[in-house]
Amino acid sequence: MKSWFKFNYASALPFLALVMQAPTLSLAADESDSSLAAEDSELFTEAYRDVPMPLEFRVEATPEGPVFADANGKTLYSWPQHKLRNGYSGEAKGTPACYDEVLTVTAGLMSPYPAGIKLPEIDSRLSCTDLWPPVLAEADAEEIGKWTVIERRDATLQWAYDEQPLYLSIRDQQPGDVQGGSRRRYGGDSPAMRVPVGPPSLLPPGFAIKSTSIGRMLTSDKNESVYSFEGDTATSSACESKCLANWRPVVAPALARDQGEWKLFERSPGVLQWVFRGKPLYIHLLDQSSWSLEGSDSPGWHNVFTQDAPSYPESFTQQASLAGNVLADSSGKTIYRYNCGEDTADQLACDHPDDTQVYRLAMCGAGDALKCLQHWPYLIAKDDEISTNRTWRIVLIDPLTGRFAAPDQEGAIRVWSYRDRPVTTFEGDNQPGDVNGGGTGEWRGQRNGLKAFWLRDDYMNGIL
Amino acid sequence: MNTLQRLASNLLVASAMISGGVHADQSMLRNRAIAYVMTDLFWSVYQTPGAIQECPQGFNDGPREQFEQLFPYHQALTVEETQLRQEIETWHPTTESDGFEFFQVEGEISWGVNLDGEVGLNDFVHPDGTPGIDNELYRAVGCIIGFRGPDGVEYIFQNKAIADERYNRLMIELTEVDDLENDDSVTVSVYRGLDRLLTDATGSKIVPGGTQRVDTRWGQKLIRQINAKIVDSKLITEPIPDLIIPWQNLNVPSTQLIRDARFVLDLTAQGATGLLAGYADVDTWYYQLIRNDSTHHLSNGQISGISLYKALRRLADAHPSLDTGENTAISTALDIKMTQVFISH
Repeated sequence: MKSWFKFNYASALPFLALVMQAPTLSLAADESDSSLAAEDSELFTEAYRDVPMPLEFRVEATPEGPVFADANGKTLYSWPQHKLRNGYSGEAKGTPACYDEVLTVTAGLMSPYPAGIKLPEIDSRLSCTDLWPPVLAEADAEEIGKWTVIERRDATLQWAYDEQPLYLSIRDQQPGDVQGGSRRRYGGDSPAMRVPVGPPSLLPPGFAIKSTSIGRMLTSDKNESVYSFEGDTATSSACESKCLANWRPVVAPALARDQGEWKLFERSPGVLQWVFRGKPLYIHLLDQSSWSLEGSDSPGWHNVFTQDAPSYPESFTQQASLAGNVLADSSGKTIYRYNCGEDTADQLACDHPDDTQVYRLAMCGAGDALKCLQHWPYLIAKDDEISTNRTWRIVLIDPLTGRFAAPDQEGAIRVWSYRDRPVTTFEGDNQPGDVNGGGTGEWRGQRNGLKAFWLRDDYMNGIL
Repeated sequence: MNTLQRLASNLLVASAMISGGVHADQSMLRNRAIAYVMTDLFWSVYQTPGAIQECPQGFNDGPREQFEQLFPYHQALTVEETQLRQEIETWHPTTESDGFEFFQVEGEISWGVNLDGEVGLNDFVHPDGTPGIDNELYRAVGCIIGFRGPDGVEYIFQNKAIADERYNRLMIELTEVDDLENDDSVTVSVYRGLDRLLTDATGSKIVPGGTQRVDTRWGQKLIRQINAKIVDSKLITEPIPDLIIPWQNLNVPSTQLIRDARFVLDLTAQGATGLLAGYADVDTWYYQLIRNDSTHHLSNGQISGISLYKALRRLADAHPSLDTGENTAISTALDIKMTQVFISH
């Protein structure tokens, strides 16, 4: 049973010690997060391959699948190189680019705005390593497998995995948190994202997993969705004759063998079909796009996930739009997430209540917090609602600043957040299923703007 | 009959079927119905060589040019004073002057339709000499490079999106058709299709004869039905009070809302070509544009959203707001091309 409480600073001491170099750190926990973490870990069930690793690291189960973590359970991230409109950002393999220098001007990596414009709130601005502390290695650290040690320009040593330098995120507070980044696919106009790093998923050849808003989706390595049928068992298939005109069994090579959750079913002499968690797997031949959910419209058929996304609050609803299903509040109004990444060499995010609010306020209210509350109202949690998990949490926000509020702060409001970023609705949506606010802001809502929270994509080429 | 004789006989039969007996323009009618799927869609812009007639002062500047003029010393300024100021003006537009002269179309000729049945001082003349053409959107966008063919950014992106993205799969179905050349009463239904377009082996040329299922799930709110007539192979529909056009490029699903919309299309058994005219809701039109095209894409077409919004509001000519009395919609016409398709209900 969860209960309301004032934030327990004592329980946060280990975390505070880790990030004490960060000049600002807001704590907005609204309830017992330790119980939420325990609840979450039972949901994250994706199996992974054991890989050799240094003793100081471990693997944590997270909403993004298994990830590497430090001794305190904090997720490790890489910052892969990413092509932007006017150049590259992120890190080339073996080359750290995140340092303690506080940047002061824009990089002009995007268009049409030029480089050299002064950044906002320079006096309180953080450096890249303030937000992304490098995972440092001892002088006698021993490299093993894909784990290597690279030298930073200040001669300190940093752990790397597959040659990508590794970092922690100060946004993560508990083992299993991935508040700092995501494995979800991002496009060319998104910022150069930080990505959780982990061991390879335990998959037979020919399969892949895609992180989506609804879970870790199992697909073929050609991005075809993989399905199972309720009428099947691990040793029998109800899909015969006519059924096979629409559903293609995912066959395994003759040399394939059972491994963990993966079994084999001989559906006809000499023809082996892959079975995952007790169900034979199929491809839906009528799917019209990659990562499709169309096949799940057929009664008894389901997309397969290695793990589901953390549940959204019970009061939320799903609504059908012109392009698929969106997440909505209890009245059917579409829920939006704010996205922000600065046009700087370090590509720091600006989407979190601890970040500068200059960008968000410009977009939601022309710089006026009250207009923001009118145009893009926060999704207020009902009095009897409590946080659902570490992904969907109720946080306290100062509505006039957009920053986290102290528990006893006057005027603070309890709002729903996704990975600690408050979510909103849009005043321009008039009826359930409207997504009139989607794509608002710079770069179609990818860099300083708002995107609808999609749960099903039938028309947008795998946007989940 | 030997092989050569059989071949000659078959060729004769085939030749007879092609050249006579069945009128070509009736051959695609099935159960008194024929359907077409949209393949091309552009805001109708009448262009003369060098734009000399319609844009004698030249073309408008876009965000990149305006930024350079506004902030020649941007290194001395902050993000709030420059980039975010322009983005605020884009996303929270007003009718206040932005200090830039806006070049609107000055010519007298425009494609389009006489929507209000009147011949007014502001109306254009159709290239065929018909007066009273209502197309104030052309007046607003005609001197912006991005809206002009054949290589304006809007011209290119939207046509590509129409072909590539099923979200945009608008179709019309004509039923109760007795004669595809002249019929004083047919019914036109507007649907969204669910399927990819049928192409030739190159994958780029859309060909007639494809099949489309009707999107009655996600696209239910797009379905409309109206009466129409066919005169000398030209389809003329009655106005649709509120036609919603699914309009997506670059993965932002959005719509256009056209009030009093009407199709005027030259029909053949293989396709339909002509205009979709009506009054575009100004705010829907503007936000569709800027949500789908970032300031970067607008810059590539020298489209200043900031300047354009003011022109749209100034030139809006229909559907006054009950609250303010200001017009909320602007007359327009879209060039459309459609290809015959079979609809599977």
